[in-house]
Amino acid sequence: MKRGKVFLLTTVMAVFVLGLTACGGGNKNGTLNLFIWTEYIPDSVIEGFEEETGINVEMQTYSGNEEMLAKVQGSNPGTYDIVVPSDYMVENMISQGLLMELDKSKLTNLENLDPAYLNPSYDPESEYSVPYMGGAGVIIYNKNMVEPGADFTDYDELFQPAYENSIVALDDFRSIIGITALSMGYGFNETDETKLGEIKEKMIVLKPNIKSFDSDSPKTLMITEETAVGLIWSGEAALALAENDNLDIAFPDKGMYLFLDNLCITKDAKNAENAYQFIDYVLNAEVNKEISSEFPYLNPNTAGVALMDDAYKNNKAIVIPPEEIAKGYYVQNIGKTVDIYNEIWAEFTK
Amino acid sequence: MKRSYRARNKTIPLLTTVSPVAIWLILLVAAPLLYVLFLSFLSTDGYNVVFLFTLDNYKNLFNPTYLEIYANSFLIAFFTTAICILVGYPFAYHMARAGKRKKTVMMVMLMVPFWTNSLIRLNGWKTLLGKTGFVNTFLQNLGIIREPVEILYTRGAVLLGMVYILIPYMILPLFASIDKLDHSFLEASNDLGANKVKTFLHVTLPLTFAGIFSGSIMIFIPSLGYFFVSDIMGGGKSQLIGNLIETQFKAGNNWPFGASLSMMLIFLILIMVTVYKKSGGDMEDLGVM
Repeated sequence: MKRGKVFLLTTVMAVFVLGLTACGGGNKNGTLNLFIWTEYIPDSVIEGFEEETGINVEMQTYSGNEEMLAKVQGSNPGTYDIVVPSDYMVENMISQGLLMELDKSKLTNLENLDPAYLNPSYDPESEYSVPYMGGAGVIIYNKNMVEPGADFTDYDELFQPAYENSIVALDDFRSIIGITALSMGYGFNETDETKLGEIKEKMIVLKPNIKSFDSDSPKTLMITEETAVGLIWSGEAALALAENDNLDIAFPDKGMYLFLDNLCITKDAKNAENAYQFIDYVLNAEVNKEISSEFPYLNPNTAGVALMDDAYKNNKAIVIPPEEIAKGYYVQNIGKTVDIYNEIWAEFTK
Repeated sequence: MKRSYRARNKTIPLLTTVSPVAIWLILLVAAPLLYVLFLSFLSTDGYNVVFLFTLDNYKNLFNPTYLEIYANSFLIAFFTTAICILVGYPFAYHMARAGKRKKTVMMVMLMVPFWTNSLIRLNGWKTLLGKTGFVNTFLQNLGIIREPVEILYTRGAVLLGMVYILIPYMILPLFASIDKLDHSFLEASNDLGANKVKTFLHVTLPLTFAGIFSGSIMIFIPSLGYFFVSDIMGGGKSQLIGNLIETQFKAGNNWPFGASLSMMLIFLILIMVTVYKKSGGDMEDLGVM
C-alpha cells in the first residue's frame, strides 16, 4: 500500500517533468517567435500573415523595454526571433550584440518608410532596426480651463501657478526632467551636474501643478475634464481629441520627447528567414493601413498613411508635422548620470 | 516513525514526499532571494549590472530623500493598520457573534470582491471619486458642496485604497480569534459585576490580542510595498518603499540598488515577525506555516 503510493507519486512527477519538456513542438511551415509590446499589433494582421505564408506565429508580449531586455538576456539564445525595442534600447541591444545585422535586400517594402525616420541617432546606418511605430510627448489642453491666450507652445506655461493641481503628466522621469531641461535651454538628455541641480530647483515649481502621473491612460483625466493640461503621448492625445471637443493639441517650440519602436531580429534568431518575411509583410502599405486603423500611433510608413482617410490624416496628434518631429529628441543612454535622475525623481515624487 | 523501521524504509518515503516541496522552495524562494542578496553588492555602469563588489547600494539607503520616503511609507502603513483595526474589529466581532446564516452572508460579502482583480477594483474607485464622479455629483446635487472636492490623488485616497484592499486580512484573523473566544469567560465577567465596556476592555480585548497582532502584521507589511495603490489612487505623487523599488528595477535601471532596498525591507519584516514571535504570537495565525 505504502509502496504503491510512493510509486504513484513518482509516476505523477515523472509525467509532469516529461510534460514540461514536451512543450514547444514544431510546425510544418515553420514558426516565428514574435516578442512585442502589448496592444501593438492587430490579431487580424497576425492571422493574415499566417494565412499568406503558412508560418505559425507564436506571440508573447511585454510592457517595458527593460522587461523585454531581461527576458531576452535570461532565455536561451534564439528564443525570440523578432523583438520591438524603442530607440535607446536598440542602441543598448546593439552594444550588447543582441541584434542581427539586417540584410536589406530581403526587405523589399523598406521604401515605404519616410526617410526622415531612417538612420536615427541610435542606429546611424539603420543596420539593425526597422521603424515600426512611435509617438511624441505632446501637450493637450482644455480650451475652457486654461488661461486666456495660452497655447502651450512654450513649456514654461506648464510652470505657472495658475495650473495648480491641474496637470496630468507621463509617469516617466526622463520626460519630466527632459522637458524641464528644454524649458531652460538645456539638453533633453542633460548630463551636466550643475545644470541638473538647476533643473531640480525648477521642478519644485512644477510639482504643485501635477495632479497625477499616469502613463497608462492619461487621456481619461483629460476627457472627463479632471485636469486642464496633459503632457501625454500623441497616441493617447489622438484618442482624447476624438472624445472631447474642448481639447486642443500643442507642439512646444523647443522640441518634443520622441520615441520610436523598431522591428529587430535577434542575433541568434532560429527563424530569421521567417522574421524577414514578417517584417516585410508589416511594411506592406495595405497591412500597415490595417495596423494604423487600430492603433493610431505615429506611423513612419508613408505608403500606409497615404491609404488612410482624411479624418486620420488631418488629426494633428496622429500625423504630426515633419518639422515638429525634426525638432524632437530621443532618450539617450546617459550612463551613471541616471543615478542623479533617479534621485531628482525621488525628490520630486516623494 | 517507530524505531523498528529500518532507515531505508524511513528515508525513501520521506524523500519522495518532502523533496518536491523542498525543491520547490529552494528553486523558487531561496535561490531568487540569494540572487537578490548577491545582486545588492554589485555595481551598474548606468545601464547594465557589472560584477564589481561595492557597498554603495547600502550606503545609498541612507540618502535623506529616501529616508523621507521610508517615513512616508511607514506613516501610511501605520494609519492603514490603525484604520483596519478600528473598522475591522466591530465587523469581525459582529460576524463572530452572528447566527449561522448571517455569518455566511457576511463572509461572502467579504470574499466576493476578491474574485475581481484589485487593480480593476481600484480603478473603479477612480470613477467614483473623480471630480465628475459619482460621489462629487451626488454631494453637489444634494447641495452639500458647490465645487467638486479633491478626493482622488491625495494621500487620503492612497489610505482609502490601502484599507480597501487589505481589510479582509485584518477581519479574518480577528474573526478567528473572536470566534474561538470561550463564552464562559464573558459570563464569568458579567457575574462578577463588570459591565459590557469593562468586560470588553479586560476580557475580550486581551484574549483577541493575538488576532489583532497577526492582522496588523499581515497589513503593515504589504502596505509598505503595494506601489500600485499609490500609483492609481495617489497619482504617483506619494512614493512608498514599493514605488522606490519598482523604479530601480524599471525606469531607473539600477537593479543592485533595488536589490539593497528589497533586502532592507526583508530585514525590517524579519524584525517585525521576530517581535511578533517573541511576544507569544503564533506563526500559524499568519498563515505562513
